[in-house]
Amino acid sequence: MDTLVRIPAALRSLTGGADEVSAEGGTVGAVIEDLERRHPGLRDRLLDEKGVRRFVNIYVGEEDVRFTGGLATELKSGDQISIVPAIAGG
Amino acid sequence: MTRLADARVLVVGVGGLGCPAALALALAGVGTLGLVDDDRVDASNLHRQILFGEADVGEPKVSVAAKALVARAPSLRVEPHDARLTPRNARELVRGYDLAIDGSDNFATKFLLADACALERRPVVHGAAIRWHGTALAVSAEGAPCYRCLFEDLPEGEAATCDSAGVVGPVVGVVAAAQADLAISLLTDLVVAGELVTFDGLAMTARRRTVRPRRGCALCSEDRSIASLTTSRYVAQAACEA
Repeated sequence: MDTLVRIPAALRSLTGGADEVSAEGGTVGAVIEDLERRHPGLRDRLLDEKGVRRFVNIYVGEEDVRFTGGLATELKSGDQISIVPAIAGG
Repeated sequence: MTRLADARVLVVGVGGLGCPAALALALAGVGTLGLVDDDRVDASNLHRQILFGEADVGEPKVSVAAKALVARAPSLRVEPHDARLTPRNARELVRGYDLAIDGSDNFATKFLLADACALERRPVVHGAAIRWHGTALAVSAEGAPCYRCLFEDLPEGEAATCDSAGVVGPVVGVVAAAQADLAISLLTDLVVAGELVTFDGLAMTARRRTVRPRRGCALCSEDRSIASLTTSRYVAQAACEA
């Protein structure tokens, strides 16, 4: 099952500039592993050894995956994943 | 309008976010603006810091901004603080105002302001922008959900800043407008706390999400561990923003 993943501007250097990419997987974790295969380097920007990095938020639809099972969050057809990193600057 | 005329708003960081946010609040009728920044106007600021012109280069930002704001809103009272927000002065500064606007350009100040506002029970509207991407978050005086519910702690590594990575001028204008909008809503008791606005200036999309309180949040949960502003907590630990 393909899931649409919205890529924030700060990570688009890893996706060839694409703001949306597709990846396969039944869970958030599986999608991230597939993202890593397609766009090497992306996983390390999202995850550390404990799971989702503390200054990154990953949403399925409008739900933060921290509240829905983390990387084990199951995906269904039509779900979209968004990544919201902490940014400074102004 | 009467309520806004009585309001005192602290703008921390008079830069790409702080300038347009302050102008929007002044023209909306906010009675008093406190401006906190120890920086001087630089030529590289001018494309996005809309209260400054070429003749202001080298001058203190808070002084120039105060004059520019009063010129546009003569009934506005401005309190310039030519200083950097530090763990030593943050609580006292925040305590003197009804709401704070986060116009800072670094994580240490963002977390410091978040913590100071929570400890002083003041609402705060955070904002940030880099390159084509920006975010705004409203936090209520009750403090939950807060900035630390969204991002637990300072990122590890050297984070990119507007000076090092650049920012598109109109993007900070959009984020600052969202901050001013959220601030006016908070000051007039509209429920916007916990709303996270993200803006992508390249895809030209804006999204709004509701942030939930993080279980065990160090700042706003029942198990909170932050009860004071300890300098070592705001030393950036080290990796670029994601």
